[in-house]
Amino acid sequence: MSKGIIRLLYRKIIDASAVKAWEKCAFNDSYTEFLMQAQLYNKEKKYTTFSEILANVPGAEKLHFLVSASVTGYIKQFNGFIPDIINTAGKTFLPFKQCRLEIIQSDITNAAKHRIAINIITEPLLWLDTIGNMLLISTETGKAGTQEEVLTEIITSQSQLNIHSFKQTENLWYHNQTEKYF
Amino acid sequence: MFLQNGLAALGLGLIVPIACKKDTAGTTSGTSTTTGSSSSSDSCTLTDTETAGPYPTKTPSSYVRSNIVDGQSGVPLTIKITICNTNNSCAALANALVDIWHCTAVGYYSEYTDTPGGRYGTVDYTSSHFLRGRQTTDSSGLVIFTSIFPGWYSGRAPHIHVHVYNSSGTSLLVTQIAFPTDVCNTVYTTASDYKAHGTQDTANTADSVFSDSLDTELSSVTGNITDGYVLTHTVYVSA
Repeated sequence: MSKGIIRLLYRKIIDASAVKAWEKCAFNDSYTEFLMQAQLYNKEKKYTTFSEILANVPGAEKLHFLVSASVTGYIKQFNGFIPDIINTAGKTFLPFKQCRLEIIQSDITNAAKHRIAINIITEPLLWLDTIGNMLLISTETGKAGTQEEVLTEIITSQSQLNIHSFKQTENLWYHNQTEKYF
Repeated sequence: MFLQNGLAALGLGLIVPIACKKDTAGTTSGTSTTTGSSSSSDSCTLTDTETAGPYPTKTPSSYVRSNIVDGQSGVPLTIKITICNTNNSCAALANALVDIWHCTAVGYYSEYTDTPGGRYGTVDYTSSHFLRGRQTTDSSGLVIFTSIFPGWYSGRAPHIHVHVYNSSGTSLLVTQIAFPTDVCNTVYTTASDYKAHGTQDTANTADSVFSDSLDTELSSVTGNITDGYVLTHTVYVSA
């Protein structure tokens, strides 16, 4: 029995302090792409910061999406599993297909001010239980509402990992039993 | 906070030596513990161990590709754009970056409202930039994209957006390319992906963008629905 089906949201912040190779690449490439795309909304270079462009130019919110293509290649290299969050075997395990880049701040005159978040949302997960500050989950959502054995993982609660959505499954098991016997 | 280091945890630092000695078939040297600094003349040298990071590859923007279809259905369209320089006797401009983007057969762009806190798109991120691409001009000033014939949306004539940059990414020109009306009429009334949407509601001559500039923005389009179309157009920039 599970409490529900949830999706987790991992918010990966990347800025000038990036250390890992892919984070540095994502930082540099997203800044370059920002400089290129921002010219669509700031032809006369009237503004220097992203927030100024956003506040003054209609449609400039598209820059989040337009810049996101610069990091798609790096995200593909995660092979469909959220980075950084690993299980006790040391492997990444949270499957995802959706993510979204958000420009937190940037400045066309100063790369050091460039800061982005890559928000990655997991595929649906079975939330089985909560143990202390840990969630017991399973990726085998197809077994929700059954009494079959599911493989589980433990995730420790952490500041950049949030529960993004929830769908109750409590009654699924009873529902399935009802269908079976009546 | 509990962010674990995914790179180190993968344990990829361990490289197992594989026997590949030269000219020693049939001999055994299983006790060898040769490391990367081996200087033995009759054995090969172990490849140096490097940082384990699984994601070190420098990767270009996903815009950089010739085929921008990404699973969108429609009549094939080859887009050939030549960039010329008005500051150099209209000669071809090599190494310019050319971005293009256009809508689907039924008039949608690969964009979604992307404000923080907003909802997620329903498209898998790996194909979310469909019908958008970037190429670099060759010595003839030419870039070629493989795409589909764009549809149209209310209030605008059919068009392709173009943004030309110099090789260092400085914007040279933002413009649009218009389509011959007769070709649009054929595609929009007979091709299966377009028929239900019908013909465009805005003529080139009535379009807010093209009405005063059609002489420099109207492309040449040849072909047919079965084999696809080829669009050719020259864009003049001041570089």
